[in-house]
Amino acid sequence: MLDFFEIIRRAMNGPYYPEKDYDLKVVVPKLRQIVKKYDIRFDSKEPVNLSDKLADDVFAAALELCEEVGCYCSDTSRVIKFTREELLEALRDAPSAPVFGEGADRRAMVGRKPDSDIKPWCFVGAGGATCSNTDVYVRLVEGYGRIPLANSVTCPNLKTINGMETVAGSPLEILACIRAIELGRAALRRAQRPGLPIMNSISTAVTDAAKIAGSEFGLRDSDCWLVGFAAEFKVSFQRLNEVAYILARGGQLIGESGPILGGYAGGPESMAVVTTAYHMFSILVLRASVHLTFPLGMRGWNTNQQLMWSQSLSTQAINRNSHMPHMWYTYCAAGPMTEMNLQEIASGMIVGVASGGNIEFGGVGAARNVDHLSPVEPRFATEVANAAAGVTRAEANDMAKRLLAKYESQLLDPPKGTPFQESHDWGSITPCQQYVDLVGKVKDELRGYGLKLP
Amino acid sequence: MSTDKKTLLNELQQAVIEGDGERAKVATQKCLDAGIAPLEAVEFGLRDGLKIVGDRFEKLELFLPDLMLAAEAGNQVMSVLEPIITAGGGESKSAGTVVIGTAKGDIHTIGKNILAMLLKLSGFQVYDLGADVPATTFLEEARKHKADVIAISALMTSTMPGQREVVRLLNDVHERESYEVLVGGAPVTQNWATEIGADGYSETASGGVALALKLVAKK
Repeated sequence: MLDFFEIIRRAMNGPYYPEKDYDLKVVVPKLRQIVKKYDIRFDSKEPVNLSDKLADDVFAAALELCEEVGCYCSDTSRVIKFTREELLEALRDAPSAPVFGEGADRRAMVGRKPDSDIKPWCFVGAGGATCSNTDVYVRLVEGYGRIPLANSVTCPNLKTINGMETVAGSPLEILACIRAIELGRAALRRAQRPGLPIMNSISTAVTDAAKIAGSEFGLRDSDCWLVGFAAEFKVSFQRLNEVAYILARGGQLIGESGPILGGYAGGPESMAVVTTAYHMFSILVLRASVHLTFPLGMRGWNTNQQLMWSQSLSTQAINRNSHMPHMWYTYCAAGPMTEMNLQEIASGMIVGVASGGNIEFGGVGAARNVDHLSPVEPRFATEVANAAAGVTRAEANDMAKRLLAKYESQLLDPPKGTPFQESHDWGSITPCQQYVDLVGKVKDELRGYGLKLP
Repeated sequence: MSTDKKTLLNELQQAVIEGDGERAKVATQKCLDAGIAPLEAVEFGLRDGLKIVGDRFEKLELFLPDLMLAAEAGNQVMSVLEPIITAGGGESKSAGTVVIGTAKGDIHTIGKNILAMLLKLSGFQVYDLGADVPATTFLEEARKHKADVIAISALMTSTMPGQREVVRLLNDVHERESYEVLVGGAPVTQNWATEIGADGYSETASGGVALALKLVAKK
């Protein structure tokens, strides 16, 4: 596989395009042409793609798209181009079972196939959501550490540091990043799982400097670092700086991408191609050992039929054609301690796992409302995801349809839910009886669909 | 309006909807040659076409690139019409002037781009300051363009304080009353907008346009 120096050389010397021309004259026409060529059509009835041929066509289309458009470096306005042979070589050489964590929580993450009965890796927690202060932060992360089926955690975003708002690019950002990682580690030790990997690096970090500085206070090479593209197919020097640093210290990366439905990626069918293409760019440009995608709607969630179908299709396309582990991400519209939220989580986990994904879960209530998250939602997600291993795509499709019928009409006006402080006993970090009963009710409903929940 | 005129205006409208700038330019000239008043071409050809594009975007029948191409086609149409309108002592009606950008530290642009395009399609003069924009730049550009609205997007919780900073700066220089401040972005909420003293928040880009129209009308 091409080495990182070659990626940087191409970022410095590749063909020059003004950004708007790359968007409108390179990516968009080529994407539309390729979607037409491979006859990829949206199925508005099913939340799960049921066609292996379509999944493979999407992968072939994505490979062609990568070859045609390359990846855009927004600092140099130059395109990092790849040949088909280089892309295929990268797919061949990508890691297949990267190992993360320490001690009792050290484990290999493997790529899964659609309909597989292999249990998914469960990367769970806040998913970029924000908590108001360090007290809430520590309790949340301890709660995540106490989720039995969690394989790695995603820590929240710290909104304040010593009573001051964390401002990106200021010294407060660096201080908050240092604090976030120190507290994250301490909280996982309190949970008796000090080896559990923190996989979202430091979500409080916006700049490369803050992420790198913060990491020196507790991130480990075995944690796996999250580095993302900008939509669509763009990468900045800040992100490549992070990659350079992580590779030099011997760490591993998750490459993340979040194409937007209705944006440059277009509709559900072309978005599946874009999402799949990111997998290849993740391997080469971000040097990833794992790829995570979260196709999103404009409102910040991805639990409707269109988005689930699209993500299901790209997840299958990737997992049928690449051995590198891939993660499915569900962002919900409804807030915590609502029936709708649990139904969205279940729907996302069942479809994602049946489509061959490992899972990341967080992002309750579109990760929008401060302190509107708790350890209950990710715990529920891990239980459903594990129970969904072995569920076929056809079965998952039926279950998701039943769940969508219950919540899809509420997506445009979802319930905000209850903040962590009001849904849990603050000392023991245990959920109130009302929340326990609600989870029990939705689990019973899922058992009725045939899901083998404990 | 005669059938011939209607046909010509429809052709102009269609070219705008399809984002075909060259065709839109030719269609505009044909409208003028047929005696259609420039303002009539703006109203029934350009603006109606842009409205259809906006509506179809809302229904996910068209996407961001289509908005951008339609806006480009609109610019081509105006390059023909504006000099004639100005020479005739008239002026093409603008819904208002907006400076828009993403908050300091934030490099995400899609949400901001969509709102900028929809504002353009709705007749606003839009100055897009791009990503990672310091509060001082928002202020300087708003002054320079005599803006009605300052629109600030933030996709990350850690960059939302950049929105507050713009409002603070406007207060500090005693120019808060000169501009309507709109905030948006995935993590932004009405509570946040209220807390920082912004004039409006919308969850969606189309809602942002409606809000901008309402606030400018109120000024």
